[in-house]
Amino acid sequence: MSYEMWTEKYRPKSLNDMADQVEIVKRLKSFVEAKNVPHCIFAGPPGTGKTTAALCLAHDLYGAGYREHLMELNASDERGINVVRETVKTFARTRAIGEIPFKLLILDEADNMTGDAQQALRRTMERFTETARFILIANYSGKIIEPIQSRCAPFRFTYLPREHLIGRLKYVVQKENVSVGDDGFEAILEVSEGDLRKAINALQAAASMGKTISSETVYSVVGRASPADVRGMITLAMKGNFVGAREKLREMILKYGVAGSDIIRQVHIEVFRSQIPEKWKIKIAEVIGETDFRLTEGADEEVQLSALLAKLTEAGHEMQRGK
Amino acid sequence: MRCKEESDVYTPWTAKHKPRKLAEVVGNQAAIQKLEKWIKSWEKAIPKKRAAFLYGPPGVGKTVSVEALANELNLELVEKNASDYRTADAVQRFAGMASQYTTLSGKKRLILLDEMDGITGTADKGGVRIITEIIKTSRSPLVLIANNAYDPRFSTLRSYCLLIKFEKPTFYEVLRRLKEICQKEGIQAEADALKLIAKKDKGDIRSAVNDLQALAQGKKKLTYQDVAWLADRDRKDVIFNVLKTVFYSKNCLDAKRAVDAADMDLDMLFEWIYENAPHHLKDPHELAEGMDALAMADLYRGRIRSTLNWKFMRYVIDFMTAGITVSKEGPARGWTPFQFPERIKWLSKTRKNRKMRSLIGLKIGKKCHLSSSAAIREVLPFLRIIFESNAEMSAGLADWFDLDDSMVAYLAGSQGS
Repeated sequence: MSYEMWTEKYRPKSLNDMADQVEIVKRLKSFVEAKNVPHCIFAGPPGTGKTTAALCLAHDLYGAGYREHLMELNASDERGINVVRETVKTFARTRAIGEIPFKLLILDEADNMTGDAQQALRRTMERFTETARFILIANYSGKIIEPIQSRCAPFRFTYLPREHLIGRLKYVVQKENVSVGDDGFEAILEVSEGDLRKAINALQAAASMGKTISSETVYSVVGRASPADVRGMITLAMKGNFVGAREKLREMILKYGVAGSDIIRQVHIEVFRSQIPEKWKIKIAEVIGETDFRLTEGADEEVQLSALLAKLTEAGHEMQRGK
Repeated sequence: MRCKEESDVYTPWTAKHKPRKLAEVVGNQAAIQKLEKWIKSWEKAIPKKRAAFLYGPPGVGKTVSVEALANELNLELVEKNASDYRTADAVQRFAGMASQYTTLSGKKRLILLDEMDGITGTADKGGVRIITEIIKTSRSPLVLIANNAYDPRFSTLRSYCLLIKFEKPTFYEVLRRLKEICQKEGIQAEADALKLIAKKDKGDIRSAVNDLQALAQGKKKLTYQDVAWLADRDRKDVIFNVLKTVFYSKNCLDAKRAVDAADMDLDMLFEWIYENAPHHLKDPHELAEGMDALAMADLYRGRIRSTLNWKFMRYVIDFMTAGITVSKEGPARGWTPFQFPERIKWLSKTRKNRKMRSLIGLKIGKKCHLSSSAAIREVLPFLRIIFESNAEMSAGLADWFDLDDSMVAYLAGSQGS
């Protein structure tokens, strides 16, 4: 028996297979018919079909051998200005063979590119429009510089509706012959927060445990998959044990490889759920926002987040004194 | 094998693990070949240059090479060094005789005059001149060793010698030697620990082996932590003084000046301050201020990286020193000793795993159309669960992702370990 990640096995291959993002798919199909594609930005939350749409577009445009005409770059892995200058330029300037006179360049996680790299990209997009079309994929189009935005057709991907997520999960479940209780589906939906990739990954991990998937299975899987004990860390900090909280933070980052951006997102959620006085919540939110921004600037995750923890320690202390 | 040797803690490892053959000598292959060729030329006839002058920095293997050569070619080594008298008379008595007569055993003789730098003008009066005379007529090969062959005292002598330069072995050559010794001593050493020793001693193999012995003798394991301390041993006082000023001085200028005086790596100093700040800023408000200053310093470090403009360094220094100084409002309460940055230890402890993670991240990313960091974040945690619970699916996925054995082992092992 052969195995793949289900996210790949069940990734739609053609625009015709894509059940979601109806309006977007319709427009992309019209590109295929016209055999012409403008530069595009696909923006939207994770797991909503951006990469899939780009790959399907390439498939429908070039046919089975579409890989020849396609370059997939990941801006997070290869985001330096030199990559744009060298790799992208080399790919973009050579003429395509075949019916369609341009190649397709998919730049995933483009919002992680540095400003300099984006400036360089802008020139490249302009110069090689005849031979290459760019699809920039990002969570936030706001992080793409204005001059690039104005050269691209924008596509805004939205969260998949609940019944579509369930439909997709049920399809996989049926194909893979696993059994899932109703509460199992509910639990997957809850933990995946509209992210289909996360939902299917959670499903596969739960299925690997070999029993009927109940809500308990799902919660235990997701619990094990996210070792970040953010709540515990916040509690330690607020009780005045800053050193202990910092060590927990260090453990998450270095031992488990949890991303700083994930930690800060959870801190944000937890702070508003907590018993902290309302006045303090908004003060802390300001620090959280500033920290988040600094992380995107490439500052040291632990140092920045521990400054935030120190702020929480201070807040905890003030609260006890009844201020 | 002499079984006593193993338990003898007083034998220096530099002697215990001294190379017995030329091939075992670390580095300087070209110099050694030149020396060997010259010695062998004596078998046919007395060569033009009757002495070889080995020179180079301390601890790079000059003496050891000569000893290994004598051992390998079965020569009788007659040796004098700086601790012996070098007056004309003394040299004449020793080297003059030795250079003219063969040994009783019939072995050929090799005369070694080590530590030539130690010949001083007054005490060893005429020593250099008489050595020059002896070289001119010697019937046995003479080897001279000094750190600096170009000392003016040797100018005449030099022209009668074959000059052979010894250089510092490379970092990797030293590292390899340290590994060999650990193996012989049955010590499991972390690669990072040995690297740190090799780096610290900058090509001085003797000093590296001495350090290794000081740190590892009697142990089964040598960790990075054991060594990190040594690297800072010489600097400990310096660092402590800087920290004292940063945390307890009254004004910004003193704090900033302390950094100049310390002349140490700023990233390292940052780690020391970052580690110790919570132990010295005990009031929560002070702590928040101090950590905020450090975060600002770090922010400017990031700006230096992204703009490659080093002028921002001055703000890094401002925030990490003066920023800490002013965050402290109350008087010092009690004394807490400064401690080595825990984060450095963590980084070394987790290095292997982090490397492994990013390799797996790349493999996943390739198949799943993700960056390696997104793959680590979004897929790897679920993959771990699959690898822990389902052998068949794991095997299939390992194949599909093209994971090697070490990656599979990492995924199947308990989380994060």
